[in-house]
Amino acid sequence: MSGAPNSDPHGPVSPESPALPALGHGIGWRPAIDLTVERLPGVDFVEVVAEGIDPGRLPESLRVLRGRGVPVVPHGVSLSLGGAGRPDPARLARLAACAEALDAPLVSEHIAFTRAGDLDAGHLLPVPRTKDALAVVAENIRIARDHLPVPLALENVAPLFAWPDDELTEGEFLHELADRTGVSLLLDVANLHTARVNTGADPYATLDRLPLERLAYVHVAGGIERDGVWHDTHTHPVPAPVLDLLTDLARRAPLPGVLLERDGDYPPDADLAAELAAIRTAVDRGRNASGGGRGR
Amino acid sequence: MAADPEPSAADRPDPERSLAGARDRLAAGQRALLAALVAGATAPDGFDPERLRVQARSLTLKRTRVAAAHHPWLAEALGPDHAVLFARYAHAHPLTAGRSGHADAESFEAYLRDTGAMPKRPRRLFRRR
Repeated sequence: MSGAPNSDPHGPVSPESPALPALGHGIGWRPAIDLTVERLPGVDFVEVVAEGIDPGRLPESLRVLRGRGVPVVPHGVSLSLGGAGRPDPARLARLAACAEALDAPLVSEHIAFTRAGDLDAGHLLPVPRTKDALAVVAENIRIARDHLPVPLALENVAPLFAWPDDELTEGEFLHELADRTGVSLLLDVANLHTARVNTGADPYATLDRLPLERLAYVHVAGGIERDGVWHDTHTHPVPAPVLDLLTDLARRAPLPGVLLERDGDYPPDADLAAELAAIRTAVDRGRNASGGGRGR
Repeated sequence: MAADPEPSAADRPDPERSLAGARDRLAAGQRALLAALVAGATAPDGFDPERLRVQARSLTLKRTRVAAAHHPWLAEALGPDHAVLFARYAHAHPLTAGRSGHADAESFEAYLRDTGAMPKRPRRLFRRR
């Protein structure tokens, strides 16, 4: 682990960190599984893809969940904060409106670019980890936070390729960004696994470098390996190496929230419930190994 | 020797100007990569070409799924041809910045009509439109 030898991983977070709410365990809310999500046991919070809803006309299912006091975190996918340009004020205003309509405790987005010049990737692409990118992304994060009514958490993405220009490791890059901006982290352990298979990055070395006191919540998802490449599909079961990473993370730090992402080929409700239970078990195993059992 | 506490304005790096330079360099790198991924441009030096092919295919498949979600009847009517025809369309029409999934699906329909590949729309479904 990084940090001073006497540092207590469960100690108080540094004073400049924003107050991060305890979220518990959750699942990504999707229109196709709205009733399932409402019925699943042990769902303490959900996340909704911000671009998929109209903040002026929330889906009935989200209103039901909010009525029960279940927090809903808007999760943006198109701000392109890792892009070269300044973030689009209209997209920021929309994300802010989602946060307000849902009375959300925070919003989340990605350290990724989705557009460049006149072209759109339609998906999240990794940012070159250069000093130039650090300066630009840090400034974009500051602009975004100025437009948002709640804290922002940013997520590491699932890379299929590496930039030849990389000057920093992913751990160093995220650490530096968090240091410069105070932004919170949404750590996707499945994406750490993706980076291991596809770029050779050691996920445990990444965890060593991350400021885990800035952890807002954690993503867990399934995928599949084809021809030596890990595809972060969100349509396959969560594999053992991802649960092992989750256990190791829970051993290192208290986890304010842990959320399962599933985006298609939906299994029977019982299978989703079993997957949520397996995630809980993985977290408990790590927390017990840390000798504490404090935190969530 | 003590450092000059107040360097002259000419020596002081202008943070705005250096940020603008960083934005320009980042923009050039990202645009070149994205053009290789979605618009058939030559891949920039240093990337693993096979991985860029995997990424390009993945982006096209994602775009195909988004279009199919907007017009499920079309995906059903075309069956396995949907992915083939969409890939052909996508190759000729890279997604432009900020274009919505709905607009892309509409544009795919227009492409199918223009190329005579549009299947008959089932009458019973979606009468409201």
